[in-house]
Amino acid sequence: MRPEVRSDVQAKPRLPLAFSIAKADDKHNEDRFQRSTKGVYALSDGASVSFDSASWARILVRRYAHNPDFNRAWLSAAIAEFARLYDRESLPWMKQASFDKGSFASLLGVRVIDGGRLIQVLSIGDSIAVLCDGDRIKATFPISAPSEFTRSPQLLCTNPVQNAFLDKIDVGFDLVADWTFRGLEQPALLCMTDALGHWLLSQRDQDPSPISVLRKVRTTNAFARFVREERAAGRMKRDDTTLIALW
Amino acid sequence: MPYQAEISRDNPTCFLFVIDQSGSMDEITEAGRSKANFVADVLNKTLYTLVTSCSKSDGVRNYFDVGVLAYGGSDVTSGFGGVLSDGIVHPIHAISEHTLRVEERKKKVDDGAGGIIELTTKFPIWFDPKSAGGTPMRAALNKTKETVAEWCEAHPGSYPPTILHVTDGQSTDGAPEEMAEGLRQISTKDGPVLLFNLHVTTAGGGERVFPTTESDLGDDYSRMLFRMSSPLPGHLAKFASDKGYAIAEGSRGFIFNGDPQCVVDFFEIGTRPKLVADR
Repeated sequence: MRPEVRSDVQAKPRLPLAFSIAKADDKHNEDRFQRSTKGVYALSDGASVSFDSASWARILVRRYAHNPDFNRAWLSAAIAEFARLYDRESLPWMKQASFDKGSFASLLGVRVIDGGRLIQVLSIGDSIAVLCDGDRIKATFPISAPSEFTRSPQLLCTNPVQNAFLDKIDVGFDLVADWTFRGLEQPALLCMTDALGHWLLSQRDQDPSPISVLRKVRTTNAFARFVREERAAGRMKRDDTTLIALW
Repeated sequence: MPYQAEISRDNPTCFLFVIDQSGSMDEITEAGRSKANFVADVLNKTLYTLVTSCSKSDGVRNYFDVGVLAYGGSDVTSGFGGVLSDGIVHPIHAISEHTLRVEERKKKVDDGAGGIIELTTKFPIWFDPKSAGGTPMRAALNKTKETVAEWCEAHPGSYPPTILHVTDGQSTDGAPEEMAEGLRQISTKDGPVLLFNLHVTTAGGGERVFPTTESDLGDDYSRMLFRMSSPLPGHLAKFASDKGYAIAEGSRGFIFNGDPQCVVDFFEIGTRPKLVADR
């Protein structure tokens, strides 16, 4: 799928690549991503230590790609969809308790409007978006330093009580960044889950730059090879790892 | 830096609860329940929370090995009944499958939209209150030492075991301090075993929570329990501080004359899982 691109911003159509790899070959990947033909992209990192984060992540990215206007009503509808997946009363006690506790996931959504005249980024949790010009990082959101990757980020939850943090912030301001491709010579946009985000911010001063390293990754196999090598070298955390790249 | 190992299915940690079931545990608290009854309730809730934190839609993941050692009279035995009474420590998956019974309880919960709804919740019971005879604390800690040494040998790279010891009285089979000292010397590559001690009481006053020194403790018994206790590692100290306790450098995992809320918090702080590997 190719995003809508206006000729006054970028002559060539952009190719949104997307790759995802599990933390280990024998483990279930709980990251999810979605791309729409309208230039809307989303990825979500499901928290493994919760009931069914993979399904929750899938619901979040599919709904965002269909309707990126995130608000409390949007979230309530997503929670209702998740609740319909299970018959709570028939679950054994340990699953019922875990279901009640909730499933958690991040949500990173991007809207590319007018071919990059406006790029609206929404992020809840520790998945990050990166705006690049050539091999230079121009901006990152919502995290800008490796030390900011905390072990307990605020995530969206299927238990509404756990989303109370949204009542204390201005969703349209605190969770959103507005960027543009305008004025950039070689603009690119990257979206990634936390393991890759931590790697990128840790490597930003290295030569070759992490952006140039990622730019060479063009296939699923190449992405898997890259992630495995970085994990083996101890530079990347072993976690589900996902990248959407709009070069 | 100790206590940094990530807890995962490949590297589980161990929680061992050592529970005093001597005769004095039948004393009635201000809330109208016996100490044994109250401790059993908190322990069941703690096991429920541990299982829940490992439960997913496709099953229970073995992040933890869990055991209960009960002592009273002349016995030190597994505190579990049924299948689990064979052996002391079991994977959390086995704990989840072998309850004594499952009760139904009603609870009121926030519906997330400003309202309150009543939910019927299934609540498992593993541990029934018991109280009889003397307090063979020395034998209990010796058994704990054997159990934990075996576990550490099998899990050399794991976050070390945490022992939560609950008692209301003095040992009747000799001084337990040397056993506790031996216990705290056992370690994995991630650090020494953590031993936290909780003294429960029906008497008010004189409460000491996570003290840093034995000098302001009133008697030899409380000073001994202080010396038997491990310092709180950083992440647990922070959690205790976040719950409102006055924590300082050197605070130990020890509560003396703890009231019911202290008992609940002691279990919650001591078993605070650090599940980061599989996030």
